Amino acid sequence: MELVERYTKRARWFHWLIAVLFLELVISGLLIFVPWINSDTIGTVTRVLHRIGAAILIAAPVLYTLYDWRKTWGFIKEGLTWGKEDLGWLEAAPGYYFGGDPRLMPPQGHSNTGMKLYRVSIFAGSAIFVITGFIMWFLKGVVPSAVFQWCLLLHDVTFIVALCMFLLHFQLAVFHPRMDESILSMYDGKVSGVYAKSHHGKWYDKIAKSNDEENSPEKS
Amino acid sequence: MSDKAILFDSSRCIACRGCQVACKQWNETDGVIPAKQYGVQAVNRGSYENPPDLSPTTWLTIKFFEKSEDNSIEWLFGRRSCMHCTDAACVEVCPSGALFHNEYGFVGYDKDKCIGCGYCSQHCPFDVPRLDTNIITGVGKMDKCTLCTTPSLDRLSTGELPACVKTCPTDALIYGEREELLARAQELVDGLRAGHSKAYPNATLYGENELGGLHVLYVLTDSPEAYGLPKDPQFPIAATITKDILGPIARVLWPVVAAGLALNVLVAWFRQRKHGEVH
Repeated sequence: MELVERYTKRARWFHWLIAVLFLELVISGLLIFVPWINSDTIGTVTRVLHRIGAAILIAAPVLYTLYDWRKTWGFIKEGLTWGKEDLGWLEAAPGYYFGGDPRLMPPQGHSNTGMKLYRVSIFAGSAIFVITGFIMWFLKGVVPSAVFQWCLLLHDVTFIVALCMFLLHFQLAVFHPRMDESILSMYDGKVSGVYAKSHHGKWYDKIAKSNDEENSPEKS
Repeated sequence: MSDKAILFDSSRCIACRGCQVACKQWNETDGVIPAKQYGVQAVNRGSYENPPDLSPTTWLTIKFFEKSEDNSIEWLFGRRSCMHCTDAACVEVCPSGALFHNEYGFVGYDKDKCIGCGYCSQHCPFDVPRLDTNIITGVGKMDKCTLCTTPSLDRLSTGELPACVKTCPTDALIYGEREELLARAQELVDGLRAGHSKAYPNATLYGENELGGLHVLYVLTDSPEAYGLPKDPQFPIAATITKDILGPIARVLWPVVAAGLALNVLVAWFRQRKHGEVH
């Protein structure tokens, strides 16, 4: 069976590092809303863990960018590059994700429109988390208390949305019957050619073409 | 039990600061003598006020306000400490239950439960709670006046007066039933306005209705602003939104989204099976 590489080993490790840190921040952050668990020791420990998790989660993409800024730039650019197949995705998505005829979905690139939307919302959400978190961590008592109060509120609002986004991401990757190779691709990096063709037709055509060119007699 | 309170009568306060000392002595919150050998250099700030601000070990200070009028100077003496609000923002935002309303109506504090988040300090309309938390780790505790109800240093439960009240030599501080003190405070304000040797037309009773009613009542010879008090202190709106709107939204939204996603999986699975689709 033909297999196509979707994610490099480095990208997969990075994904799971981010996933673990995200969940660590979700849990350590949520516990502050559970008064009976917030006894002195646990409450203090979760606050410290939240800070450690936040520091690593910020440092990881920064270090990755320093190591390979082209890859990061490509990642950002892909999320921001939109074409007419994206309009088609928006139109076809409800039927497609509720098990309708997959042929109504226009061929998608390496990332489909939903993945790009998810990526852009992560950029926006991360910016809000980092800015409000920084103010609450380092500028408590320096900025007016009203600024702190609204940062706390904004941090909470962003989290409410972020957890919904995460649930969607998790459902599509693990449970959705149409995305049956999705989680495997983040495990060993590969999907079948059939899956790549049906889910990311535009991307599949591109790699198929470049493979052909590499294998053509003129080049070899 | 009906609510208790303390009444501060600024017209009787002579700023001896015996209350500050008694507070430190009873609550074992020793300060540092501002001298070089203790690492703190005394600074002349042009005022007798000392220390300049509340701190984790200073829960009460007497404020000195100099008011000059027609070549004469008048000193206004204010009292700065926890106001023990009825609608206390600190109690509302405290995530660990360390802050609570006790049987007297005061804002009690269980320091063992404090996790040092500092939400109280950032929501207090009077800027009272003080933190000793580490800026990097965030580890530490808050401190503020407990009106002598700190466990193991509890004066009220044994029928003693709060330390500040007990030591006040001029009865500028009185402890008692809040209702009785309110009536008494109103009488004092009326008396100040009418005046005997000198009239105080701006005399104010502060704390009757502010934030649902404070448990520290003020008889002021002038406007609240002249004593450094906010004229109309407000419960922070962001805290109300978080507690009354965001909390309920999150508790409903997350399960609804999860259920919707589960339903989506089921619908997609059945329809794809009907089509005999591989993917």
